[in-house]
Amino acid sequence: MKYNGMGIEEIHKLLKEKKIKPIDLVEEAFKSIEESGLNAYITLNKEEAIKQAKELENKEVDNILFGLPIAVKDNIVTKGLKTTCASHILDNFIPIYNATIVEKIKEKNMIIIGKTNMDEFAMGSSSRTSYFGAPRNPWNKEKICGGSSGGSAATIANRDVLFALGSDTGGSIRQPASYTGIVGMKPTYGRISRYGLVAFASSLDQIGPMTKNVYENAVLLNAITGKDHKDLTSVETNEDFTRMIGEDIKGMKIAVPNFFMSEIVSDEIRNKVKETIKVLESCGAKVDYVDIKYIENAVTLYQIIAMGEASSNLARFDGLRYGHSIEEPKDINDLYYSTRAEGFGDEVKRRIMVGSYLLSGENAKTYYNKALSIRDDIRKEFKNVFKKYDFVIGPTTTTTAYNLDDPMDDPSKSFMDDILVIPVNMAGLPGLNMPIGFDKDHMPIGMQIIGNSFEEAKIYKLASYLEKKLDLNLIPGGEK
Amino acid sequence: MNYIPTIGVEVHLELKTKTKIFSNSTNGYGEMANSLTNVVDLGYPGTLPTLNEEVINIGIKAATILNCKIRKQMHFDRKNYFYPDNPKNYQITQARTPIGYDGYVEIEVNGEKKKVEIEEMHIEEDTCKSAHRGNKTLLDFNRAGVPLLEIVTKPCMSSPEEAKAYLEKLRELMLYGNISDCKIEEGSMRADTNVSIRKKESDPFGTKAEVKNIGSISNVGVAIEKEIERQKKIYDNGETFKPQTRRFDDKLQDTVLMRIKETGNDYRYFPEPDIPFVVLTDEMIENVQKDIPMMPDERRKVYVEKGVSEINTNKLVQNRPLSDYFNELLNENTNFKIASNLLLGDISAYLNKKDIQITDTKLTKEKFLDLIKKYEDNTITSKNLKEILDIIMESDKSIDEIMKENGIENITDDSEIREVIKTIIKNNPDSVNDYKNGHDRAIKFLMGQVMKETKGKANPKLANDILVEELK
Repeated sequence: MKYNGMGIEEIHKLLKEKKIKPIDLVEEAFKSIEESGLNAYITLNKEEAIKQAKELENKEVDNILFGLPIAVKDNIVTKGLKTTCASHILDNFIPIYNATIVEKIKEKNMIIIGKTNMDEFAMGSSSRTSYFGAPRNPWNKEKICGGSSGGSAATIANRDVLFALGSDTGGSIRQPASYTGIVGMKPTYGRISRYGLVAFASSLDQIGPMTKNVYENAVLLNAITGKDHKDLTSVETNEDFTRMIGEDIKGMKIAVPNFFMSEIVSDEIRNKVKETIKVLESCGAKVDYVDIKYIENAVTLYQIIAMGEASSNLARFDGLRYGHSIEEPKDINDLYYSTRAEGFGDEVKRRIMVGSYLLSGENAKTYYNKALSIRDDIRKEFKNVFKKYDFVIGPTTTTTAYNLDDPMDDPSKSFMDDILVIPVNMAGLPGLNMPIGFDKDHMPIGMQIIGNSFEEAKIYKLASYLEKKLDLNLIPGGEK
Repeated sequence: MNYIPTIGVEVHLELKTKTKIFSNSTNGYGEMANSLTNVVDLGYPGTLPTLNEEVINIGIKAATILNCKIRKQMHFDRKNYFYPDNPKNYQITQARTPIGYDGYVEIEVNGEKKKVEIEEMHIEEDTCKSAHRGNKTLLDFNRAGVPLLEIVTKPCMSSPEEAKAYLEKLRELMLYGNISDCKIEEGSMRADTNVSIRKKESDPFGTKAEVKNIGSISNVGVAIEKEIERQKKIYDNGETFKPQTRRFDDKLQDTVLMRIKETGNDYRYFPEPDIPFVVLTDEMIENVQKDIPMMPDERRKVYVEKGVSEINTNKLVQNRPLSDYFNELLNENTNFKIASNLLLGDISAYLNKKDIQITDTKLTKEKFLDLIKKYEDNTITSKNLKEILDIIMESDKSIDEIMKENGIENITDDSEIREVIKTIIKNNPDSVNDYKNGHDRAIKFLMGQVMKETKGKANPKLANDILVEELK
């Protein structure tokens, strides 16, 4: 029996009663990671994690997260622990400060196991743009585990650790969660401080928890939210996200956008979602199909906004102050050109170039400003829907995880993988992926639940109700 | 051929805040290189800007002083360009919603008043300071993130004198408003100027040359003069030139080409997503405005109205601490002329000698009012004042006490002096006769007697008046 596959309350009890020690969890995690061959991590924090686990032996088990291992996506800075963003340009970068969220998990005495693999600078949907090679899907190692938080998704699906942090700019938590059969939440924009999250698209980026079940997801969210004076876009929150778990869902009103159930989604997934809708209806929820204007344009808006912002955010990687830098540059321009040419991968370069173009001269008005204004319209559309409905639901992805060796020659493919999750980022809303079944090859199918702003607790209520109802076996390869 | 010059001026001011604009690093000058920096100033991955409210308040203040309209909802923008002194390779500035716009500054050149129009003023962050050593460039990040106010005039000036007068006036206003210490030599005030010439008012503006890096206000005048000459020569030869950026060379006392401006310099501006929109309420604006001190022009007007001479008025306004001190008296019923004479005379001499400010002394407002009164009615003579000024300035004691301790006890009691005088007149009939026969010298003798009798304590003016009266 793997401890890290147990429920959090069970483990907490064992820790509290001193039947196990944090070091047992840590050692088990490293063993599991090493045996898995998933390439889920870029850097393991072995020495420090073991040291910390031993130190915790003399401390009181004072909170439910005490002594539990956590994996951190490698675009969240960790003091003294390499933070690469899966890029050559930062492959030796050791930060001198902690992200606010890292401080928060340290306060709870959680133990960072390592830094998880991802798409380079979170740009991609299969984690295959990683400088360190793609992570593999525990359900089938020949398949992708999605992205960009692919490593975090893989390590949770494999039950290496209980908790992982991901980041979601255009679906990067929910989509890999869907491909790997886990629970991933992108909270409302502003819920969690972005201070220390290496920026991709600042107006969209949001950190979120990735876990094997709904309850643990809510527990982790409890520990990591709140206003941070270092992030002006963060908001004050003071609530228990588990508080509605266990409540009945009778009478809840659910909207399903027609776009989410259109031809773009595979038959298998559509049918599974329809089955799930029937379950919900049988439990007393009321489900309507609705039209939400502009959501079919969300990908285009996303490309403009995210790439525009990324082109500016990534300008700081110039070889001058940190990160990769070429030897003996001829002059300052050579330092810039050569460092960035060597340091960035193709997808990152492509997005920087497209983003720079989109912000150039008149284009800023034609594209970027226009996109911002349509983004406002999407927000308003969702707002209207939430006047009448408690949730918007639909499939998380159009297909299940595809093969690692599928061609990568179509740059727009990766955006299409995220076509159903991107509208949520555009509207700044909270969205959660939960597994609802499997395809014919026994690859997980995910459903996303979208809530109104700051209604994460309500999302957890529906998700946990459904989770219990479906009672799926979500351990890859069966019982471990 | 005669040409009309068109001149615009852009000024960058470093603001006197405690901390930087987007981080909590100390805002300081002259410290060890890179000692006033943190991860935000260095543009470290993952860091985010915060916003120093003090900067917004100073912005409101400066906008008010420059008669600008204030933008109530504003945001910041990113100006994207690669340069070693630009840590994030974008500068956070206000491109689209400057905090102030449509203002003016009133100047006077050759007795003629003119309003120099302010196009806009915006808040932004300063860059690093670069130092070139051989083929190396050293970067000091202490300056990175220091708050700046950029103030841009319309192309509305037509002579070097106007530009200089504008800069002098702007400097005076910004010093008075405590916006910046405006030290050009330390770079806390930096001026760039745009110069073009054309044949007549109805012609379109000529090709523009921007001159940067001018180290003093008088050199701004020189730079503009040289630039006008240079452009004239080109046009007179039937030639043209491209829009360009030039710098002022201090040694040459002339402008030197830096670079030809490329068309469509593209900074890829877009709204800074890390800083939410800033909304200014009327209350916030009023709170700042109520603390704005009286500006120099108003002071000049009020002082003259209170009877202060023009010379003293100008001297006072040029001495901010004394002027502030003087302003404290404005609601009192006192002799402002004497007040200004005292402040600019013996008191200034004392302050200069000790190298201190008036606020460092023990001369409270009440004590000063008492001194003015005693000086006015001759209880204290200027001779007395010289004797006891140091004590007045340094002691907590009242002027009466100080006078007593130093034996300065001028008899100002009418009847007491009159008694003494009557006796003296009675005892010196010869002198009285001399006086009545027109020998003016006799009165000096009689006065001498009065002083002798009162041991020099009689108020001389008063004694003289009474004596003349009694002799009638």
